Amino acid sequence: MSQTTLASLTGAHKRYGKVAALDGFDLAVKSHELLALLGPNGAGKSTAISILLGLQAPDKGSAELFGHAPQEIDGRRRIGVMMQEVALPGVMRPRELLEQVASYYPAPYEVDAVIARLSLESLLKRPYGKLSGGQKRQVQFAMAIVGRPELLFLDEPSVGLDVQAREALWKVVRELLHEGCSILLTTHYLEEAEALADRVAVMARGRLITSGSVNEIRAHVTRKQVSFVSRLAPDSVRDWPEVMQLEIERDRMQITTRSAEALLVRLFREDPQLSDIEVKRAGLAEAFTELTNETKQEALS
Amino acid sequence: MSLATTMATNMPGTRLWAAYFGEIRFEFIKSLRTPAFAVPTLFFPVMFYVLFGIVLGSMRGNGGMSQYAFASYGVFGAMGPGLFGFGVSLAIEREQGLLRLKQALPSPPGAYLLARAAMAMLFVAIISLSLTLMAVLIAHVPLTFGQGIRLFVIDVLGALPFCAIGMFVGALVSGQASPAIVNLIFLPMAFLSGLWLPIQFMPKVLADIAPAWPAFHLAQMALATVGAPSRGTLGGHVGVLAAITLVFFLLAMRRMHGSGFRLLGARPKRTLAIVAGAGAVVLGLSLSGVFGGESANTEDAAAATDESSAAAATPASSSPPGVPAPAIPVIADFDGGSAATSYGVGWSASGDDMRGGNSSATQRLVDGGAAGSKGALEVSGNIGDAIQYPFAGTMFFPEGPPMKGMMDISGKRTLSFQARGDGKRYMLMVISGVQVDAIPLMYDFEAGPEWKEVRLELAGFANADFKRVRAIGVGTMAPVGPFRFQIDNVRLE
Repeated sequence: MSQTTLASLTGAHKRYGKVAALDGFDLAVKSHELLALLGPNGAGKSTAISILLGLQAPDKGSAELFGHAPQEIDGRRRIGVMMQEVALPGVMRPRELLEQVASYYPAPYEVDAVIARLSLESLLKRPYGKLSGGQKRQVQFAMAIVGRPELLFLDEPSVGLDVQAREALWKVVRELLHEGCSILLTTHYLEEAEALADRVAVMARGRLITSGSVNEIRAHVTRKQVSFVSRLAPDSVRDWPEVMQLEIERDRMQITTRSAEALLVRLFREDPQLSDIEVKRAGLAEAFTELTNETKQEALS
Repeated sequence: MSLATTMATNMPGTRLWAAYFGEIRFEFIKSLRTPAFAVPTLFFPVMFYVLFGIVLGSMRGNGGMSQYAFASYGVFGAMGPGLFGFGVSLAIEREQGLLRLKQALPSPPGAYLLARAAMAMLFVAIISLSLTLMAVLIAHVPLTFGQGIRLFVIDVLGALPFCAIGMFVGALVSGQASPAIVNLIFLPMAFLSGLWLPIQFMPKVLADIAPAWPAFHLAQMALATVGAPSRGTLGGHVGVLAAITLVFFLLAMRRMHGSGFRLLGARPKRTLAIVAGAGAVVLGLSLSGVFGGESANTEDAAAATDESSAAAATPASSSPPGVPAPAIPVIADFDGGSAATSYGVGWSASGDDMRGGNSSATQRLVDGGAAGSKGALEVSGNIGDAIQYPFAGTMFFPEGPPMKGMMDISGKRTLSFQARGDGKRYMLMVISGVQVDAIPLMYDFEAGPEWKEVRLELAGFANADFKRVRAIGVGTMAPVGPFRFQIDNVRLE
């Protein structure tokens, strides 16, 4: 399936006083994909998103939404948006909020269909202000999808949701993807990105560090975790050059290493009775920590 | 293949209109459901009118003041929705992210501002209609259909300058501070513009700066419409209000744009050009006198008088006009050693003791009149505080017996005289009409140390019934305390 670029930032720079929020940032969201944009706080995620939505203009570089400048309404008629920390009018009922947002789009979904799809029926009687934090997020998600968007911006969609609600939201996100909608997701929950994303873009200090599939990102990480049961004295093992970190968990030793193979050879040599061996590649969380730490050190040196 | 090419993304025109309309409806419902907004804006003007206009007015038995109260509280009502709707809500929504979300969503350009302004005008329409109903049904304010419509239009369009001022406040201050700031603008301006107390009763300094407040200009238009005393011309007021609207709107947009909000869509310059153009047209029209400068106003107002007599709010048309005025132009020159007049009952000092007040006046002839003439009439006295609307001065009754006889001066064009005095403001008063207690025509002037002509073009005062003039007075209502002025060479020609 060939992919077209729906939204892009090219060489985007944005400064707030002395702080460079974006420092030559490139990003492209393609059709039929869920791209997760990851980065620590202050990495520039929000700035990147708000430029793509036309809320700010980059100091340098360019932004496009369906071939238009994001400030133009034509591009924005094809997107749906769920933002963080937006106070919607508390006196209005969820259906009224949905109807209003639907009216902005050329060919929105039926409001009732969206309500049924997200099982919001039980929330309809109460004004928005009386809903719980999680329920509000569900309404906001409904508002994001009601316009039948081709590209959905989800900024921390599952903050405040319980496990059940989060699973339900993920289910709809996967369905939308299947139906051909593209999604740009920013999230703090790495498992969310791991569960949903086709592609991950990691940014730090206003720059794109790396992007690729979840597996590719993990592959960047050379660190592995080796755990086993052994008679060896932890204090002597700790001094081996292969060992980055050593922890004891009941009878097991857990070692973080960059050279798992060399470590295992030495372990077997020193303790032939070594048992219960488990070697784990790092998850997205570790990869993410490692990637962003590297840039931090780079920046410091 | 991309979805981008397969989906229709053009917004059908009908859906775009529906989006604008839906936005207005949403905003209106939202405002109605927000007690902190709806109660003060809708309920306060009506409550104040009932308390001060109807209840207090009827206790004092002063029929004329009910017109003043009716027009003033309508203007008070026109101020609130725009000031609070923009000043408070814009400040809060700017801070709490709603404005950002709307801007990220494809909400149609300008819809946010348009919806809010429309909401404010709808609220004002409700207030104006409620006040009109109460004024006509309960307070029995004489009001023709034409006057009612005109007042309604003035109130509803009068919401716009306050929307613009509110916009500026909302763009500038924090959400938390905004209610206090808006109230600090709203309530003092209402008072200083003479909405609670007529300008005539205010200290001179306050009366002099009143034209600085937009509400003053709106109030003068409303007062003129219902036939209460007012200052200035319609064209002048429209011009000032249009300029204020334009300036605050542009300042607000500049400020919002500076903080990254494009409330007018992707091409704000186009919209701004349209707004500025519309403002310039209104300004230009008002400067060229289309809305009625002194002269155009006359026809307009004359039409209103015809209407009012035709509508028979009072049995004016069935009542015969007064005795035709004599051709002689001079009423009194005070050169003959007396306060006698060419016709009618001569000038006599009068206070308000008949109405239960404690204001008093005495008059005497003095040497050295205007333009080197021999004598003039000096009136001095004291304004008391016993009643709400005191008066002291001198009165002339063109046709005896005093207040009962009536003269038809509709064939005359100007009423003029020379005046000087202690620097305070005085007024020329013409009591006319079938009803003795109808609100008189009042014309403000300042009496300084030098002789100066006070000249009233009769054509400019449609609300007086010049076919039935009962009395012409010169005097003062405020401030409390002593006063002294001289008049000379009173002419009606």
